[in-house]
Amino acid sequence: MVLEATMICIDNSEWMRNGDYSPSRFQAQADAVNLICGAKTQSNPENTVGVLTMAGKGVRVLVTPTSDLGKILACMHGLEIGGDMNLAAGIQVAQLALKHRQNKKQQQRIIVFAGSPVKHEKKVLEMIGRKLKKNSVALDIVNFGEEDEGKTEKLEALLAAVNNNDTSHIVHVPAGTNALSDVLISTPIFTGNGEGGSGFAAAAAAAAAGGVSGFEFGVDPNLDPELALALRVSMEEERARQEAAAKKAAEEASKQEKGGEQQASSQDATMTERASASASEAETKTNDMMDDENALLQQALAMSMDDPAINQEAKDTDMSEAASDDPELALALQLSVADSSKDSSSQSDMSKLLADQSFVSSILASLPGVDPNDPSVKDLLASMQNQSESQQKNDDKKPPSEEEKK
Amino acid sequence: MSGESASAIQKGQVDLLDFIDWSGVECLNQSSTHSLPNALKQGYREDDGLHLDSDADEQLLLYIPFTQVIKLHSILVKGPEEEGPKTVKLFSNKEHMGFSNVNDYPPSDMAVLTPDNLKGKPVLVKYVKFQNVRSLTIFIEDNQTGSEITQVQKIMLYGST
Repeated sequence: MVLEATMICIDNSEWMRNGDYSPSRFQAQADAVNLICGAKTQSNPENTVGVLTMAGKGVRVLVTPTSDLGKILACMHGLEIGGDMNLAAGIQVAQLALKHRQNKKQQQRIIVFAGSPVKHEKKVLEMIGRKLKKNSVALDIVNFGEEDEGKTEKLEALLAAVNNNDTSHIVHVPAGTNALSDVLISTPIFTGNGEGGSGFAAAAAAAAAGGVSGFEFGVDPNLDPELALALRVSMEEERARQEAAAKKAAEEASKQEKGGEQQASSQDATMTERASASASEAETKTNDMMDDENALLQQALAMSMDDPAINQEAKDTDMSEAASDDPELALALQLSVADSSKDSSSQSDMSKLLADQSFVSSILASLPGVDPNDPSVKDLLASMQNQSESQQKNDDKKPPSEEEKK
Repeated sequence: MSGESASAIQKGQVDLLDFIDWSGVECLNQSSTHSLPNALKQGYREDDGLHLDSDADEQLLLYIPFTQVIKLHSILVKGPEEEGPKTVKLFSNKEHMGFSNVNDYPPSDMAVLTPDNLKGKPVLVKYVKFQNVRSLTIFIEDNQTGSEITQVQKIMLYGST
């Protein structure tokens, strides 16, 4: 709830074309900026945010500090990538813009997105940092994009020069599957200095840890419904994978010899888990509120453990659709699926469940974003039914095939 | 010392501490542990252990608004011999100055403090320039020995309303 005037410095240099952050560095940066603007204006209605670009023809102030979120988001449109980032000039212009803020009672803060290599000397940056500290301007640095040797060191030195009582922060975001915005949500850049956690940021942080408060996942479904939906679906999938991982660990203890089987069994497990997860959606939500950071850790572990399972899962859906066209493929798929089951009773239970098309279609209908009337979904259902039917046939074939193997 | 204190509170002049608008008091480049109230507030300023320190470099910029219009007669700055302030510039009624524009305006008055001043001798200001003061900005440009940190133990303002 700190009354603050913020200037956001955007890196729109050529380095931002790279796609190592999805969809592109520039787009990831723009999403992060939008989120930050929303968070700042929500935490205190008198907060103002301004935006400037550091590359292109030169440092250009797109919008001076204002509390009008629409104006800020509008100026993010039509930004062009080009040129080279001028960090020193960007920070100095930001400082100047903050100096001329209308409400002098606001604290001054600059948020810098440093995506391209830093060409300034460390001394120059330290001098700038000291000047900022002298004028009691806080600085947040988002170090992403290019991993230049010395870049991290220079930015850390800049932070050390500016930092006054932990009001300034630096965040290193390596390239990866996590979106830039998601990583930033849990950092002090969003959450303030601990004591001043805004409602938006607190909700986002809490939701990231598994809780639900106010807005689910910290994103207002009215502001960004697609993002909220995507977050919800991925959260459910994460839970499913986590349960699959737990099952896998238990199975691994008993079936140590056949490594390949486990992956295939977890395939089935995940498919039914997904069904059961969506069915008991409402119940598990409240239960999951209790797992805070532990859940997040477990999910991360599960994700790294489950990577092979995930790939196979995706392939499974593709293969099912292809299988309806290619009978040999279908047979191979069924054999690999059938091979996994030692516990034939559970297998037949699962296959019965899958075979019950009405049950499956009701599950699919409850899954958000899935239209049961979609032809691809119908194909999938059909192939799944074929699978379950042939599985029952293969249950008979299994003992002879296992004997053959031995 | 008693003679000094008698002359410090001259005829008709009062300690302007009561007229300071504390909500608007600001100090740029102060250290977070040793901040302005240590030098200004009653009780803190008498304590020699509590003092105002500068942070990134030796300059300090103090902004003191008042609850009503006052006339400033003299100021008293106490500090250690070495790190105490030397060149002090006073600006009357200039809001929200920064280090960058502090040299753009001519000061209402300027004083170079001697070690005597730092021990407790007040500095008389150009009274005519401070007849109608709503806010006072004190810019401490450097200190006695040129050390990195400037220390101020006590600041007292004398005047009338």
